[in-house]
Amino acid sequence: MQHWPVGIAILLALLFTGVPIAFAMTAVGLVGVASIIGMTPALSLVATVFFDYGRDYSLSVLPLFLIMGYFVVQSGIAEELYNAAYAWLRHRRGGLATATVLACGAFSSVCGSSMATAATMARISLPSMRRFGYPDHLAMATIAAGGTLGILIPPSVILVFYGIMTQQDIGKLFLAGIIPGIVGVIGYIIAVRISLFFYKGTLPTEPKLPLMERVKALKGSAGAILLFAFVMGGIYLGIFTPTESAGMGAGGAFLLTILLGKFSIKGLFEVLYETMKTSAMMFFILFGALTFTNYVNMSGMTQDIQTFIGIFGESRISLILIILVIYLLLGCVLESLSMIMLTVPVFYPIAEAHGINLIWFGIFIVMVTEVSLITPPVGMNAFVLKAVVQDVSLRTIFKGLAPFVLMDILRIGLLILLPGMALLLT
Amino acid sequence: ETKLTIANWLPPSHPLVSEVIVPMAQKISEVTGGEVTTSMLPAPLGPPPAQFDLAANGVADITFGVQGYNAGRFKTTNLAELPFLGNSSEAISVAYWRTYEKMLFKAGEYDKVKVLAVFTHGPGEIFLKKGDVTSVDVLKGQKLRTGGGFVNQIVAQLGAVPVEGPSSKAYELLSQGVADGILFPFESVNSFKLIPELSAAITVPGGLYNTSFFIVMNKAKWRSLTPKQQAEIDSITGEALARMAGQMWDRADAKGLDAMKGKIKISAATDEQLTAWKKALQPAIDAQIEAVSKTGIDGKAAHDLFMSELAAASK
Amino acid sequence: MALLGGILLLVMMTMTIVDVIGRYAFNSPLRGAGELTELLLVSLIFMGLPAVTLENGHVTVDVLTEHLPKWSERWRMAAIGVINTVILTLIGWQIWLHASQIAAYGDVTTTLRLPIAPIGYFCALCTFASAAASFMASFLAPSHSSIKG
Ligand code: NA
Ligand code: NA
Repeated sequence: MQHWPVGIAILLALLFTGVPIAFAMTAVGLVGVASIIGMTPALSLVATVFFDYGRDYSLSVLPLFLIMGYFVVQSGIAEELYNAAYAWLRHRRGGLATATVLACGAFSSVCGSSMATAATMARISLPSMRRFGYPDHLAMATIAAGGTLGILIPPSVILVFYGIMTQQDIGKLFLAGIIPGIVGVIGYIIAVRISLFFYKGTLPTEPKLPLMERVKALKGSAGAILLFAFVMGGIYLGIFTPTESAGMGAGGAFLLTILLGKFSIKGLFEVLYETMKTSAMMFFILFGALTFTNYVNMSGMTQDIQTFIGIFGESRISLILIILVIYLLLGCVLESLSMIMLTVPVFYPIAEAHGINLIWFGIFIVMVTEVSLITPPVGMNAFVLKAVVQDVSLRTIFKGLAPFVLMDILRIGLLILLPGMALLLT
Repeated sequence: ETKLTIANWLPPSHPLVSEVIVPMAQKISEVTGGEVTTSMLPAPLGPPPAQFDLAANGVADITFGVQGYNAGRFKTTNLAELPFLGNSSEAISVAYWRTYEKMLFKAGEYDKVKVLAVFTHGPGEIFLKKGDVTSVDVLKGQKLRTGGGFVNQIVAQLGAVPVEGPSSKAYELLSQGVADGILFPFESVNSFKLIPELSAAITVPGGLYNTSFFIVMNKAKWRSLTPKQQAEIDSITGEALARMAGQMWDRADAKGLDAMKGKIKISAATDEQLTAWKKALQPAIDAQIEAVSKTGIDGKAAHDLFMSELAAASK
Repeated sequence: MALLGGILLLVMMTMTIVDVIGRYAFNSPLRGAGELTELLLVSLIFMGLPAVTLENGHVTVDVLTEHLPKWSERWRMAAIGVINTVILTLIGWQIWLHASQIAAYGDVTTTLRLPIAPIGYFCALCTFASAAASFMASFLAPSHSSIKG
């Protein structure tokens, strides 16, 4: 046994006392590496990670997808999507919640971040759900869970990071996320039904809109559909590469903002400033994680975990199940991005050695990450909702999320049984 | 007992790892009677361009990589990347190593490390999705994927449009039609799974470009070994290691060529094409040789030495 | 700084678009677009760093710290500020050394042959500025960042 368990214990201690994730991982990574190869080389490795990975072309998609997301929010497309879904569902019991799930799925197709999706949809659909007397646990959970689709339905920041860490084709990863994303939407609609089944209160409905009115409402979603078709179609038809799709998508979203009359110089610079800050924040977490990964890499942890997993037998299915259990447990306490950064370097060589398709594995990882976003105690999407609506307890939100977590786990089971769900389109 | 850490940034199944680095590691252990052993790290420590410095700074003990990833840093490499060099990676690699040992080391580019080998892959050929392969103008206006650097100049001089991208993106660029073709050795076309995306190949005697590689060791670590251990390791690295790497590329090229049979129409460049291309490329070739002189060694003399070593090694 | 960063981002976005359009419409992609993107990217990341640090915007895990007594908060923030300052200073110092190493052997980009070292020095300076910002921020009120993965 090596000293990496001590390193991890110190990392957790630093994290839980509130040291920023980026710096906690850098510090433990640096000291850990130094304990193996000495201080001077360890320090030089820090520069390699922070400056040389910072120049990695494939990472440029991150700020560009971020700009795209911000422009989409600014253009008002999200409201349009929600209104369209609502027009079709307003006469059904719980129609607002179902509309929210659909709008989350649609918005995810133009936004790469789960928390941004949850935050945006919270601003848009929460007020009407509350106005119509939807119970808090249902309203909040629907948005928190629906938001997790942001990283499964392409584009996806998590899939980009996964692709870079495992040297997989990001375009294929994006395509692989589409069907599981649609299955996810269906799953969440079922979860809404389950919640409604157990909720005995009344929920008001509105009169059914005539067909023409409903069709008309779809018009507003044209912008989002066009943008999604442009980005994914461009990748699929080979007009541009997935890396380029981020720049093209950002440009497209920018154009939409102008066409929809929402453009302003002030708004533009707000978007750019936010993107710059968010990029710095996310990249420093990435660099910290990479520094920590170097420690993991040198410490022999991969081999130790491989040995540990070996206890449970050599079969592929037992390997996947044990990884699933580890992720569900880690996902309770870790933030999504840091979880990916910490664990993918450990698990992907093991998965590869067992002949597991790494595109499939990427979708698997994203799905377990989605669960981590909505499980207590650290569930970032639940936190987003809590931040938007201060007067609801986290307990209520997590309680409402139970059926959604259940559907997530069923969906992961389905992915394991039917790998084609991810691989069909690739 | 000394343990050397080897950094790896390629998949473990890549022939450069499985047929060069791993056998080298085994030989180090064998030849020193187990006094010096090695271990390969499971994940990359840094991006490919950082590999040289990882060894120089002592982060890992042994690293390997491509000099061209650090443009401006290595100029003697120019000689090994010229067009029309040779058809056998083994011969080029052995001649390259001998030239390095006799002359190129004086340029001081590798002073911070112990060099275990320098070598090149096999001749780079032309692969296209479409076009009349016999026409002198076949490359005019074709978008060809390159890794950047001197090969970009080659492509541009021949009237084609260079589309830059790392080799890992080659499939993406070709399958999506972003690029119309690619300059690659046979091996890479096969291993990057590009065969279904291409229809024709034009082979150029001696290749149209080449890529130089290094395997280096941390200097302090090297000095910490006993003179006996050093001599033992020297006996299986240097020319022997360059030869092993060259043979690996030749085998891989043969395998790649074999995999293309019936799928890609392979034709040799016509005399007309060769005359035109040689004429178009000569100024760029001269400039590359001249640039070697900036390192303080005589570029022309180094090139002549390399050519005579190549002639000797090719026999 | 914010303005310059914004412009760099716009340039990055526009470059991809010009590259793609140039490739199809004029059969001439933008020369060196990839390597320019790389240099812009690293500049952008480090330019955003002082702003994030000054606003205490780095992502933290706050499940436990939320429950700590109020009086300890100031001390905790100050301690974390010092830790952040030390780490940022180390990072800045190493990037500076790395840049001077790059300058010494004259590393340039592959196609346009742009020198890389100046960007390294710039990133090091941004990191030093962030170290100072973190020292200052440790005495300001904490705030939490909004959007992550
Ligand atoms: Na998405
Ligand atoms: Na969680």
